[in-house]
Amino acid sequence: MEINLPGGGHKDIFYNSLAPMLIIGTDAPAYTMLDVNNAYLSTTHTTREDLIGKSVFGVFPANPTDNISRNIERTIFSFEQAIINKAVHIMSNYRYDIPIPGTNDFEERYWTTSNTPVLDSNGAVMYFIHSPANVTEMYKLAEREKAGVAALKHQQEQLYATFMQAPVGIGIFKGPENIVDLINDPLCQLYGKTREELMGKPVFDVLLHTRGLGFEALLDNVRLTGKSFKGTGMAVPLVRNQRLENAYINFVYEPFRETDGSIAAVIVVATEVTELVIAKNQIEEAEARARLAVDAVGLGTFDLDLPTGEMITSKKFANIFGFEEPVPRNDYVAVFHPDDLIVRKLAHEQAIIAGNILYEARVIWKDASVHWVRVEGKVFYDAAGKAVRILGILLDITDQRKAKEEQRKLISLVDNSVDLVSILNMDGVNSYINEAGRNLLGFENEEQVTKIPVSALHAPEHFEQVEKEVIPMVMTTGKWAGTMMVRHLQTGEIFPVYNNCFRIDDPESGKPIAIGAVMRDLRPELAAKQALADSEQLLRNITTATPIALWMSDENGAVSYVNQTWLNWTGRTYEETLGGGWLEPIYQEDRQIAKEKFSSDSSAKVLFEVEFRLNHSDGTIHWCIANGQPQYRSDGSFSGYIGACVDITEQKQLQKQKDDFIGIASHELKTPVTSIKGYAQVLEKMLLKKGDVKEAMMMNRMDMQIRRLTSLIGDLLDVTKINSGKLQFNDAPFDFNGMVKDLIEDLRRTTEKHELAEDFNETGMVYGDKDRIGQVITNLVTNAIKYSPAAGKIIIHIALQNNEVTLCVQDYGIGIPGDKLEKVFEQFYRVSGEMQHTFPGLGLGLYISSEIIKRERGRIWVTSREGKGSTFCFALPLYVEGQQTNEN
Amino acid sequence: MGKPKKVMIADDDPGIVDAMSVMLEFEGYEVSATLNGAVLLDMEDELPDLLLLDIWMSGMDGRNICKQLKQKAFTSKLPILMISASKDIERSALEAGANDFLAKPFEMDELLKKIERNIA
Repeated sequence: MEINLPGGGHKDIFYNSLAPMLIIGTDAPAYTMLDVNNAYLSTTHTTREDLIGKSVFGVFPANPTDNISRNIERTIFSFEQAIINKAVHIMSNYRYDIPIPGTNDFEERYWTTSNTPVLDSNGAVMYFIHSPANVTEMYKLAEREKAGVAALKHQQEQLYATFMQAPVGIGIFKGPENIVDLINDPLCQLYGKTREELMGKPVFDVLLHTRGLGFEALLDNVRLTGKSFKGTGMAVPLVRNQRLENAYINFVYEPFRETDGSIAAVIVVATEVTELVIAKNQIEEAEARARLAVDAVGLGTFDLDLPTGEMITSKKFANIFGFEEPVPRNDYVAVFHPDDLIVRKLAHEQAIIAGNILYEARVIWKDASVHWVRVEGKVFYDAAGKAVRILGILLDITDQRKAKEEQRKLISLVDNSVDLVSILNMDGVNSYINEAGRNLLGFENEEQVTKIPVSALHAPEHFEQVEKEVIPMVMTTGKWAGTMMVRHLQTGEIFPVYNNCFRIDDPESGKPIAIGAVMRDLRPELAAKQALADSEQLLRNITTATPIALWMSDENGAVSYVNQTWLNWTGRTYEETLGGGWLEPIYQEDRQIAKEKFSSDSSAKVLFEVEFRLNHSDGTIHWCIANGQPQYRSDGSFSGYIGACVDITEQKQLQKQKDDFIGIASHELKTPVTSIKGYAQVLEKMLLKKGDVKEAMMMNRMDMQIRRLTSLIGDLLDVTKINSGKLQFNDAPFDFNGMVKDLIEDLRRTTEKHELAEDFNETGMVYGDKDRIGQVITNLVTNAIKYSPAAGKIIIHIALQNNEVTLCVQDYGIGIPGDKLEKVFEQFYRVSGEMQHTFPGLGLGLYISSEIIKRERGRIWVTSREGKGSTFCFALPLYVEGQQTNEN
Repeated sequence: MGKPKKVMIADDDPGIVDAMSVMLEFEGYEVSATLNGAVLLDMEDELPDLLLLDIWMSGMDGRNICKQLKQKAFTSKLPILMISASKDIERSALEAGANDFLAKPFEMDELLKKIERNIA
């Protein structure tokens, strides 16, 4: 059939168009091919002749892949659609393999073909243009893409599965409302909600308690800025299992980027760390509590780095060391008590080996106060076993130490008490008995103390006292003290003790909890008392048997004791004698003297001595000499006298006999001496008259010896008189200097060797016995001559001083030792030692002199230096008319 | 010098009597003596010029003798020198009326001095 195509030009365009085109008639089912362009021919490896006027399906039958691609069927359908609908119909991407010329093989081809109907002026389809486009490459590309997408999809699915099954909570919150786009089970569980409750809903509408806590802002920030946010252990209030609780969550907000890079959602990855956080909090709390506790009990802590020696300490540690704030380690070391540095050093050395440190030492604060500290710690070692660190605590144990010390002292006191100290529980068994007590009662060990009931410590009859008297008394009044009998557990011996019991009450409740007892063994005391009584009896027997009266007086001069002897003598009772009663039996004339002497000696606290006559109960009178030795207490205060009273009646009688004898004897001696003296003097005169001068001289010497004999007899008589109180004085006023001058003149004649020098000051009159006073001066001068054999000078001084006439005889002789000075005026004193026999005399002269001077109301004394000489002096009152009276 | 003065010695000790006699005779006195004091009170005639009287006269107190002699008119003017072994007697001797006193043992010169001073 002939078709007019517009202009020949059009035909060329058609034929040369690059898009392959085939014009097919509407003559179904043949669909005759009406024309074709070159591109089509080229694409289908055909010629125009092969195609024009032929049925399309005749030329292009179904190829081997048609059963899969069913392109014939689809092509027919497309043709029909284009014709029916009078509109272009496109068949996309169908496979139609093209035979490869010269072979039986086909080339795989994919096509997208448009069937475009061409209408006539009536609108009827005249033909249609079939224009296949070879889309093989595109198809294959699309196929590959499809495969890729599938793979991606698979991957996504896998990811999703992973996502959903991940052990961490994952969710995607979309948009500003944070709508849950995706959420996995763990996150649902974390939120305590089901997926249905969450999916597609704004997350803060579901998790109401999390609103307003800042999470919205965090999410907004991530979505707007793209910066991820990481939260660690943040507390999120959630209602889970119908319970609102704080869940602690570690989470990450990651921006979820679209393919174009925009952010529409946030990925939330969350892990619940509540348990961890709680555990951690608990640890922290525990730590805090420990720290509080440590602070509360005053514990200081330290962390010592051993390799560097650096030490970190708590403030409390510093405080215990006396510092305000922690200081370097050396500063701490510096305040240790020097004596305790070695303790510290040893403790540190030991710590490295033992693994822990423990020691107590003193530290000295700036204010010099001393504090006890206890250091306790643990040593840490590195892998190599080297000690690297010590962690520890420090405690101020000053009070503890003190308390411990006090307690130790108390325990020591109780332990070492020689008395029993015990604590008796309310069940009748002792809980404690000290060692002395265990020994006392026969406990073999401490264990027995708590086993053996108190009843076993007494005989039944004595335990009755404990039960009926002691315990009730202690329970009601709080204490009991007295003697009780106890029984020794081992020996069974029953013996007395003095027991001091007291109730011990519970300090809280005030209820009695025990009975304390302090028990003393009375046996030694009783034995001592017996011994004392025995000893007293013995003493009494001795004092009674003694022929000497013994007495004691107190500091007030009251007699507090006399022995039986005195009572026997006086026939008075003990009571009558005490106090001042002892004076009553004293012979009346002597009583006042005895009383005054005792009173004056007692107040002067000096050795007491007095002689008196005592009326004995048998009517006889006895002479007594009473002596008392002053007594002093340990504090040095005077406590009275202990003394004796000796009966000296016999001595007195003997003395009197002796005095009488000497008196008579010397008196009788004087008569023959007088005769001899007379004969000698007459003979001397006769011989002188005859001119026998030599013989006369011998008679003179004889007379001198008689004079000496006379003088000795005179001394003996004087002493006798002094002792019997019969020395007589013929006192009268006399001129002292004149008397002395005459005397010295006479004395000069008796010595050739010695110069008697006068050092006389004017004095005056003295009232006394001129001869007796002269006797004293003679005695002093002759002594001076006698005891200065080597020195020639003797000075006699006379002076007036304070209305006293003083005479001193000074020699340069042998002198007197200091310890003998006081004795020279005693009866029968003579120069002692080797010199004794070289100096003649009876030793009576100074005694008589001192008695004379005393009787003349004067004083006599001596000063001397051994080997240098002596000065003997006496002083007598100056005579003032009308004052002195003759006392003799 | 005329007639020698007479001195009488009354002492119960023959030794004293003898020694004093020797002394006084040597000095030119006429000496008489008695050992018995009682005879002194019986003296009727020939009084001595001075009496040396010992205070102790065998049971008699010389002071009593002295007192009596001084009371008797015949002997009241007789100077009496009393002699004693004790100086303590001096006062009582003078109280008894003795003209002077001398204690034994005495110096011969002293005796002579006192005799000369008192002899009539």
